[in-house]
Amino acid sequence: MALLEVKGITKTFTRRKKTPHIVLENMSFSVEQGQYVSLLGPSGCGKTTLLTVMGGFLTPDSGQIILAGNKVEKPGPDRGFVFQNYALFPWMTVKENILYSLQVKKLSQREQKERLHELLEISHLFGSENKYPVQLSGGMQQRVAVVRALASRPEILLLDEPLGAIDFQMRELLQEELAALVEGAKTTVVMVTHDVSESVYLSDRVIVMSANKGQIVKDVYINLDRPRDRQSPEFKGYVSEITELVRQAFSEKAVDIELPSGFAETNVNYNSQASFTDAFNRMSNRYSRVNHGRAAK
Amino acid sequence: MERNGSAISTDRTAKLAPGDVFEKYRGTFYTIIVVTILIIAWYFAANRIQNTLLLPYFQETAWRFFTAWFDYRIMSNLALTLRRVFTGFLYAFIIGIPLGLLMGYSQTAMQAFSPIINSVRQVPIMAWVPLSIIWFGLGDGPTVFLIAVSAVFPLVINTIAGVHGIDPNYYNAARSMGATLPDIIRDIVVPGSLPSILTGCRLAMGFGWMSVICAEFIATSAGFGFLMVEAQVRLETAELYALMIMSGLVGFIIDKGFLIVEKKLTSWRYKDGIVGS
Ligand SMILES: Nc1ncnc2c1ncn2[C@@H]1O[C@H](COP(=O)(O)OP(=O)(O)OP(=O)(O)O)[C@@H](O)[C@H]1O
Ligand SMILES: [Mg+2]
Repeated sequence: MALLEVKGITKTFTRRKKTPHIVLENMSFSVEQGQYVSLLGPSGCGKTTLLTVMGGFLTPDSGQIILAGNKVEKPGPDRGFVFQNYALFPWMTVKENILYSLQVKKLSQREQKERLHELLEISHLFGSENKYPVQLSGGMQQRVAVVRALASRPEILLLDEPLGAIDFQMRELLQEELAALVEGAKTTVVMVTHDVSESVYLSDRVIVMSANKGQIVKDVYINLDRPRDRQSPEFKGYVSEITELVRQAFSEKAVDIELPSGFAETNVNYNSQASFTDAFNRMSNRYSRVNHGRAAK
Repeated sequence: MERNGSAISTDRTAKLAPGDVFEKYRGTFYTIIVVTILIIAWYFAANRIQNTLLLPYFQETAWRFFTAWFDYRIMSNLALTLRRVFTGFLYAFIIGIPLGLLMGYSQTAMQAFSPIINSVRQVPIMAWVPLSIIWFGLGDGPTVFLIAVSAVFPLVINTIAGVHGIDPNYYNAARSMGATLPDIIRDIVVPGSLPSILTGCRLAMGFGWMSVICAEFIATSAGFGFLMVEAQVRLETAELYALMIMSGLVGFIIDKGFLIVEKKLTSWRYKDGIVGS
C-alpha cells in the first residue's frame, strides 16, 4: 500500500456574498514510500491549499488523506511541514528550534542531545546551534527549517515552496543542498513549487496541476540518475515537456476569467514572470516582517 | 533601531577609535547643545522680566533643583509617589496582560470585551477622580487606582496588537510539531507578543507617572504632586520649576530603564545580539 493516499479531496472557499470558489475538486493520487513528489501549477491553483490539507491545518469538504494507514485529522509530528517563509521561531536559537518537537514530547536530555547531533551533522550547521534565526543567511534558515521538520522522524516531509524566498543565484545551490539533505534523511517528500527546473532537479515525480479546480494535468515520472545534470539533453527535455504542460494548465484558466467578479479577483491573470515577482515580493515582505529586528547588512 | 553596521563598530570587544566615540555620543552631544541654548535663553529672559513669580531666575531654580535631591521631605515624597506608581502599574499589569493575551488570542473574548474597553477608555482620567475618592477615600487608594486605570489600557491594547502580529504560521508550525495549547501559549503567544507588551509597559509607566502627579494634586495630602501644589500655594515658583524638572527627569529615567529591559529581553531581534544605541 502507498504511504500517502490523497482520496477525492474537494475544497471550496466561500466568502460572504460571493460565488463559492472551488479550489480543489475530487483530487486523488498516491505517493510511495521514499518518493520525492512535486506539485507544480499556476499561482492560485490550490497547491498550498492541498498541502495544508495534508498537513491537517485545513479540513477538506470531502475526501480524505491517509498517511501510513491512518486518516489525517489534525496537524501532528508524523508530518514534517516546512512553510513558505520557514516560520522559524525568531525568539528561539537554532538548537531550540530544531529540538522543539522533541521538547514538547518531553524526551530526555540525552535523546535530545543525540538527535541534535545527527541533525546538525546532516545539515552542516555545527557551530550555529546557539544563534538566533535573524543571524542566519537565507540558506541556513532553510536548512534549519528542514531539519526542524525532520527532527521528530516524520513519515513524510511537506515542503511549501521551500526556496520561494531565495533569489535566483542562490536557488540552484540550495536545491543541491536540499537534495542532499533529503537523501541523507531517506524521507518521503511532497513539495510545492513554481519552478519547473527545480521540480525536475529534485523530484522522482512531478504532478502538474491546472488552474481549473486543481485538476491533475499530468503526472510525470522523472527517470534520471542522481545527482542530476542540469545541462544534459534529457534534463532539458523534461523541463521543456513540463513547461509546455504548465502553459496548457494556464490556458484552462480562460474558462474562469469569464466568471463573476468573485472569481476574477482570486484568479491572478497569469504571466509567469510577473506572477513570480509578485509572489516573491509577497513572501519577502512577510519574511522581513518576521525578521523585523534585522539590521541592514 | 540599530544603526547601519558600517557606522558603528558592532564588536563589543573592539576598541573604539576617537571618531567612533563621537559617533556613539553624537545624540548626547546635540542634546547638550540644545539644553545649553535653552538655559541661556532662560537666564536672559528672567533678568529681563524681573518677576520671579512668573519666571524665577535660572540660578535659583538650579540651586533648588540640586538641593532637592538631598532634601529629606522632597525625597520621601518622591519615594512615596514612586511606590504608588509601581503599585498601580503592578495592578494594571496583572489585569492588563492576561486580558490582552486572551483578547488577542480568542476572537470571542475580543468581541465580548472590546466594546466595553473601548468606551471605558474614552473616559478622561481626571473624570475618575471624584469616583475614586468616593470609593477609596483620600490617600494611597485613589492615586493607585488612577494610575492603574491609566496604565491598563496601553497594556491591553499593546498586548492585543502583539498577539495579532504573530505570524499564523508560527501556530501551524508549533501544532505540526505536536505542541498543545499550553505549549503554544508559553512558547509562541507570550514570546511572540513580548516586544509589543514591553512597549505597552513603557507607555503604561509613562501614563502612570503622568496621572499620579495629577491625582496627587487632588486626592491626597502627600506625594510629589502634592509638593507641587504646596509650592504653588506658597508662591515658591522656583521650587515649582525645580520639581517639574525633577518629575520630567524621573519619568525619563524610568523610561530608559524600561528600554534597557526591553532590549535585553528581546535581544533575539538584533542581528549581533548587541543592543543598539
Ligand atoms: N482562507 C482562504 N479563504 C478564501 N480563499 C482562499 C483561502 N485560501 C486560499 N484561497 C484561494 O484559493 C485559491 C488557491 O490558493 P492557494 O494558496 O492554494 O494557491 P497556490 O497554488 O498555493 O498559489 P501560489 O502559487 O500563489 O502560492 C486562491 O485563489 C486563493 O485566493
Ligand atoms: Mg502557495
